[in-house]
Amino acid sequence: MASPNTALTSQTHPGSLPPNVFTLPRTAQLEALYTIIRDKDTNRGDFIFYTDRIIRLLVEEGLNHLPVVTKNVETPTGAHYEGVGFEGRICGVSILRAGEAMEAGLREVCRSVRIGKILIQRDEDTAEAKLFYSKLPEDISSRYVLLLDPMLATGGSAIKAVEVLTQHGVPEDRIIFINLIACPEGIHSLCGRYPALRMITGWIDQGLNEKAYIIPGLGDFGERRYTC
Amino acid sequence: MPKTALDSLLEPLRPYTQNTRKNTILLTSHGRPPWYGEDGKPLSDAFVIAVAGGSASGKTHVARQIVQSLDSVPTVVVLSQDSFYNRLSEEDVKIAHANEFDFDHPNSIDTGLFASCLADLKSCKQANVPIYSFSEHQRLKETKYLYGAAIIIVEGILSLHDPIMRSLYDLKIFVQCDSDLMLARRLKRDVKERGRTVEGVLDQYLRFVKPSYDNFVQPSSKFADIIVPGHNNSVAVDLISNHLRGKLTARSVRFRERMANVDRYLPLGAAGGTVLEEELEGPNLIVLPRTPQLKGIYTVLRDRTTRRGEFVFFADRLANLVVEKSMELLPFSPISVTTPVGVTAKGMKLTATDVCGVTIVGSGGPLEGGLSRVIRDVRLGSLLIQSHPSTGEPILLHTMLPSCVTDRRKSGDAWVFLLDAQIGTGASALMALRVLLDHGVKQEHIVYLAFIVARGGGIRVIRRAFPDVRIVCGALDDGLGEGWVSSETGERRRTWPIEPGMGSIGDRYYL
Repeated sequence: MASPNTALTSQTHPGSLPPNVFTLPRTAQLEALYTIIRDKDTNRGDFIFYTDRIIRLLVEEGLNHLPVVTKNVETPTGAHYEGVGFEGRICGVSILRAGEAMEAGLREVCRSVRIGKILIQRDEDTAEAKLFYSKLPEDISSRYVLLLDPMLATGGSAIKAVEVLTQHGVPEDRIIFINLIACPEGIHSLCGRYPALRMITGWIDQGLNEKAYIIPGLGDFGERRYTC
Repeated sequence: MPKTALDSLLEPLRPYTQNTRKNTILLTSHGRPPWYGEDGKPLSDAFVIAVAGGSASGKTHVARQIVQSLDSVPTVVVLSQDSFYNRLSEEDVKIAHANEFDFDHPNSIDTGLFASCLADLKSCKQANVPIYSFSEHQRLKETKYLYGAAIIIVEGILSLHDPIMRSLYDLKIFVQCDSDLMLARRLKRDVKERGRTVEGVLDQYLRFVKPSYDNFVQPSSKFADIIVPGHNNSVAVDLISNHLRGKLTARSVRFRERMANVDRYLPLGAAGGTVLEEELEGPNLIVLPRTPQLKGIYTVLRDRTTRRGEFVFFADRLANLVVEKSMELLPFSPISVTTPVGVTAKGMKLTATDVCGVTIVGSGGPLEGGLSRVIRDVRLGSLLIQSHPSTGEPILLHTMLPSCVTDRRKSGDAWVFLLDAQIGTGASALMALRVLLDHGVKQEHIVYLAFIVARGGGIRVIRRAFPDVRIVCGALDDGLGEGWVSSETGERRRTWPIEPGMGSIGDRYYL
């Protein structure tokens, strides 16, 4: 199998970040998308539409970290084209509940991809992230995993989710964490713990407030997407 | 909707714009061949014919006869003086309803607006022509959008009266008719069709119609190039038609020499001439970053063995990427918002208000889904451009444009994403861009979206003609091959497929 190709992505890659973190190119257009979803007055319909747009961009970017192999094809005009074929099987794993919102975007780009689910919640007694439920594809150890969670705050549940995946035999370097908004605290704890994992994020915010909410953030993603 | 002067004049003309010859494809005779040169600039104005004469002298009849006698007429538009009556004050509306208003006097006509609409149409721009309702005696809020006429007929009793109007005409006709005959016709028509009384008609005739005819209409006949009798005028119509055909033929021959003709501007690239990359790429030709996924998508799309379902899926995915890239070219300005956490966040806001899409029917369709997934409820127009079966030149068959483009007051601010799967010869691209520019859309507000641009094709002509139009594509292919296709009727014509390309993208996506 060819090695994952990371050289030719459209990512910007700030030097201050861990080398395994990739962000989307910071264009005015992308900033405008984030402005819409951050705005507390944005209605649910717009919130869904614009988060979907960003999620598609993130998934497209994440897929660029998958390996490809050379493939020659003949075009309808009879010309030859030296292209590439997709290599390596993938699956998605969403961290409930907010991660589920990213599944539609994933399926739009990867048709009928298998999607596992993990539910992690804070244990009221110990304040530690605890696995409540997981349902993963049986052959997950032989697949690349796109791990989906829109918000990375303290990083507690993402770390727990990666732990679950590695316990199921998924090599760390085959996990691609796809995330809408992150903050430095979460990035450092997740990437410090798992340096071989790759993380794709759309935006890195200032930090956390005393309640561990991302600042400026966008509020509770799941609430705004599903119930608000 | 009230019946209007323009409607009643346009309706009866429609049949004549269709080609009545048999054994020809109806549509090809309708279409509009290129009206611009390789430099993208219009080659010539539309041909304007004025038909003046007294009320009920037979102007409309003469106009129709002329149109009918022209074989395979391109596009004819009739502008009627009746559309351009001035807005009436409330008082005047009452007077008009009492049949006391002098509609025959030159002052009743908004000559300034009439002349500017005509000047726009003549110089190949769109016009938003007012609609006058006789039942309400008022100009309506909505306007009639006209565009793309090769021949314009201006019809009205006073059409030769105003010097500015006269300066816009290429041929001036005055229909001369005996006063008794005109009165008789008018009486019959108004009583029978408009439910008026004989006294009412005669009263109006004596108060307004006759004085206007004597003072303004009849004297304007001295400006006419030709005076046609109001009846038994088939010989005169014949003479005019012959003259017109000669003029139009001479014009089209001259056109063809300078026209943006695929055959003429292509050979350089098609023959394998080298085109320097730097000559081509630049800030206004943007190619998507060549990522592994993008290359993979192209491999699927180029593969001749890819089945339709697969092709559609990957074309949609690619469309999304091309559209997202194009969105970066829109104008943004900084704003601040408050997030649900109660914090202020600095951000950006799209400042363009009228962003719309225009699809080149067939090959542009695969990009439409991408656009509607990125801009909510985006307005989508379309252009149908086909290759002429024997000459291969592009023919504009149909235009349906978003309101922000058709409306002259808005088009200067509109942003248009022009959707087309590929730029090969560039013939249809050049035409589509010309249509948008004719409407007053700014070059720098147009983004041309394509899957593939052929280096050796018409792209250089487009870049030279419209350097400020930005083009976003997924891949630059080497060049154009040369081939022949047979149409259903057995006619063979040359085509220039892109190499390596992905075949006919529209066909693979839809059929």
